[in-house]
Amino acid sequence: MNWDIFIWFALPAVILWCSAGIVVYRKKNRVLADILMITGIAIFTLFIIGFWIDIERPPMRTMGETRLWYSFFLSVVGYVTYRRWKYPWLLSFSALVATVFVFINLLKPEIHSKNLMPALQSIWFIPHVTSYILSYAMFGAATIGAFVQLRKIHRKGLSDKKVFDFIDNIVYVGFGFLILGMLMGCVWAKEAWGHYWSWDPKETWAFVTSMAYLAYIHIRLQGKKQEKVALWLLPIAFILLLITWIGVNYLPSAQGSIHVY
Amino acid sequence: MPWGYPESIAITAGIAFVGFVLQIAVSDFNFYLLTSPVNLIVGALIVGFCLLTLALQKTKFLKWFTGVPFSVCLISALLILTLIMGLTPQTGPSSANVKKDIISLLGFNNMTGSWPFVLIYFTTLLSLGSLIVRRAAKFNIRDWGFYLTHFGLWLVLFAGGLGHADIERYLMHVREGEVEWRVYDDEGNVKELPIAIQLNDFDMEEYPPKLTIIDRETGEPQPQSDPDFYQIDTKIPKGKINGWELELNEYIHNAVRNSDSTYREVPMPGSTPAARITMHNPLTGEVRKGWVCGGNQAQLYKTLELDEEQTVVMTVPEPKRFMSDIEVYTPDGTIKSAILEVNHPLRINSWTIYQYGYDNAAGRLSTYSSMELVYDPWIIPVYIGFFMIATGAIVMIVRGRSLNRKRIVSTEHNKEEK
Ligand code: HEM
Repeated sequence: MNWDIFIWFALPAVILWCSAGIVVYRKKNRVLADILMITGIAIFTLFIIGFWIDIERPPMRTMGETRLWYSFFLSVVGYVTYRRWKYPWLLSFSALVATVFVFINLLKPEIHSKNLMPALQSIWFIPHVTSYILSYAMFGAATIGAFVQLRKIHRKGLSDKKVFDFIDNIVYVGFGFLILGMLMGCVWAKEAWGHYWSWDPKETWAFVTSMAYLAYIHIRLQGKKQEKVALWLLPIAFILLLITWIGVNYLPSAQGSIHVY
Repeated sequence: MPWGYPESIAITAGIAFVGFVLQIAVSDFNFYLLTSPVNLIVGALIVGFCLLTLALQKTKFLKWFTGVPFSVCLISALLILTLIMGLTPQTGPSSANVKKDIISLLGFNNMTGSWPFVLIYFTTLLSLGSLIVRRAAKFNIRDWGFYLTHFGLWLVLFAGGLGHADIERYLMHVREGEVEWRVYDDEGNVKELPIAIQLNDFDMEEYPPKLTIIDRETGEPQPQSDPDFYQIDTKIPKGKINGWELELNEYIHNAVRNSDSTYREVPMPGSTPAARITMHNPLTGEVRKGWVCGGNQAQLYKTLELDEEQTVVMTVPEPKRFMSDIEVYTPDGTIKSAILEVNHPLRINSWTIYQYGYDNAAGRLSTYSSMELVYDPWIIPVYIGFFMIATGAIVMIVRGRSLNRKRIVSTEHNKEEK
C-alpha cells in the first residue's frame, strides 16, 4: 500500500466523515452518524497500517506523513470528545479539519521532499503537535461561542446559561490539551536542546496565549461577575493563539528563533 | 467583603510601577545573585511566608491576597509583560555604559531579568502558595484537580525560577579515542570539570542524497528560479529534473569506487553514496548513462555530463542520526557508557550530557564530537511539577467545568450574603 492508492482510501473516509458531520444534527440520526464516523476512521486506519508495513518504518518522517496523522487523530479525538460532550458541531468541525488535511495531502503531497532532521525524531513530536492542534480547534469553537453569547447579551441584556456552559467546558478541555502540548514540548526541549524553557519567541507567545485563557478560566470562577470582560477575552486570546501558531515567524522580534518548524 | 477588582488592579499596577522605578534606578535584576545558597534562603522565606498565612486565615487581607480578582490581575500582568517581551527583540542585559533608549531603560529587551517581571513573578509565587495553603487547611479530596494544577504550577515556578541561577551549560569537544574534561562556557572561557568523557567512536547515518542538474559554469542548480531535485528512493526510481527524465538503475548507500569508475558496496567509514542512472531527454531523444557520486574527504565526486552546459550531480546527504559512543567518568568512581544521540541524552546525577555537533565539513568522517553538558540540580522538582500539572490537565479534559460547579455555586452564595 503506498501513496499512489491513498486517494482510494482518503475519499471514502472523507465522504463518510463529512456525512457523519451533517447527519449528526438530527437527533434520530445519531446512531447513523456513529456508524459513518467509525467506518471512515476504520478505512483511514487501514491505509495507515498498510502504508506502515509497506515502507518498513513508522510513517512519521515527511510532512505528508505527519498530516496523515493529524487527519487520523482529529477524526478519532473529535469523535471521542463528541461522544463525551454530545455537541454535534464538535463532530462536524473535526471532520472538516481532518478533511482539509487529507486534501492538502492529495493536492500537495510533500511526501519525499522532507527528510526529518535529527532534532525532530522524537516520540514527543506527534503527541506535542497533535495536542496543540486539538486545543486550537477547541478554542476556535469557544471563540464562536463567545460571539454568540455577546450577541445574546446585546439583544436581551442577559447571558444564556447553556451557551456559557458550553464555552466554559470547551475552554477547560482546550486548556487541558494546551497544557499537555506545552508540557510535552518542555520535556522534548529538555531532551533535544538542554533546557525545558528558553523563552524562545515561539515559547514566549505560547506563554502569552496560555495566560489569556488562564485569565478567562479564573474570571469565570465568580459566575456573573465580569461576564463581558471574560467573553471579550476569548477573541483576543484567539488572536494571540493565531500569532503563536502562524504569526511568530513574521515578527521582527522572532528572527533567530530555534523553532524553525 | 474583601477587596475586588479595582483594588487588585491598583495594587498589581503599583507593584509593576515599583518594578519600573527600580529598573530605571538600578538597571536589570541580577539573577546570579540567586545562586545557591542564596536561592535556598529565599526559597525558605517564600515557603515560610506561605505557611505563616495559616495564622491569617480569617482576615480580609488573606481572602483578597488568595482570591480570584487578585490572581486574575497577576495573570494579566504576566500576560502583558510577556506580550511586550514577544514584540521586542530580546537582546539581553544592556551594559551600563551604553546610552539607553526607552526600551532598554524599562528593561523590555531583557524582560525576564527586569524588575517588574521579577516582582510580579514573586508576588504570584506568594499568592499562589498562600492559596494552596489556605485550601489545604480545609482539605477536600474532591478538589484533587485543583491541588494538582496549582501545586504543580507552584513547584515549577518555584524550582524553575529559583533554580535558574544554578544552571550551568558547557560545550565539550572530544576527539575519537581521547579523554576530555575541559569545557567551554558561553563566553569561550575554558574550565575543568569533575567529569571526564572518553569518545570511543563517532558515527553518523545519512539519508539518501538528492540528484540535481547544475550549470557547469556557475554551479547553480537548474532551473535557476526553482531548482528541481530528485530525492533518491529505490521505491520510486523515476523522476524528472530540468526537462530530463531520470531513471535510477542502481543505488549503493555505502559505495567505494573501483578502478574502472564503477562502484561497489563496501560498508566502511570512507564510503559514500553512489547512483547509476539513465537520463533521457524527451525533446531531443538523447540518452546519457553513468554513475554519479557526491564524494567526501576520502573519495572524489563523480558527475554525469549531459551536454556543454549541464551536468548531473549528487547533493551532500542530510544527517539522519549522529551518535557518539562514550564513557563518562565521575569523581566518585562511577563509569557510565552510552551511545549519545540527538534526543537521547545521558543523565548522570544532576548532569545531562547531550550530543551537540560534529565537524560539519567532514560529515561522517568527523574525528571529533561536540557535546553539551548541562548541570541543573533543580530539575527533579520541576519534573514532579510537570507531572502534577499534566495529571490535572487530564482531569480538566475528562471532567470539563462540571467538576467545579458545586463550589462555584457556593461562592456565589457568599457574594449574595454580603
Ligand atoms: C496551570 C495553571 C492553572 C490552572 C489549570 C488553574 C485552574 C483553576 C481551576 C480549574 C480553578 C477552580 C477549581 C476549584 O476551585 O476547585 C482554579 C481556582 C483558582 N485559581 Fe487557578 N489555575 C491555574 C493557575 C493559577 C494561578 C497562577 C493562580 C494565581 C495567580 C491561580 C489562582 C486561583 C484562585 C485564586 C482560584 C480560586 C480558588 C478559591 O477561591 O478557592 N490559579 N484554578
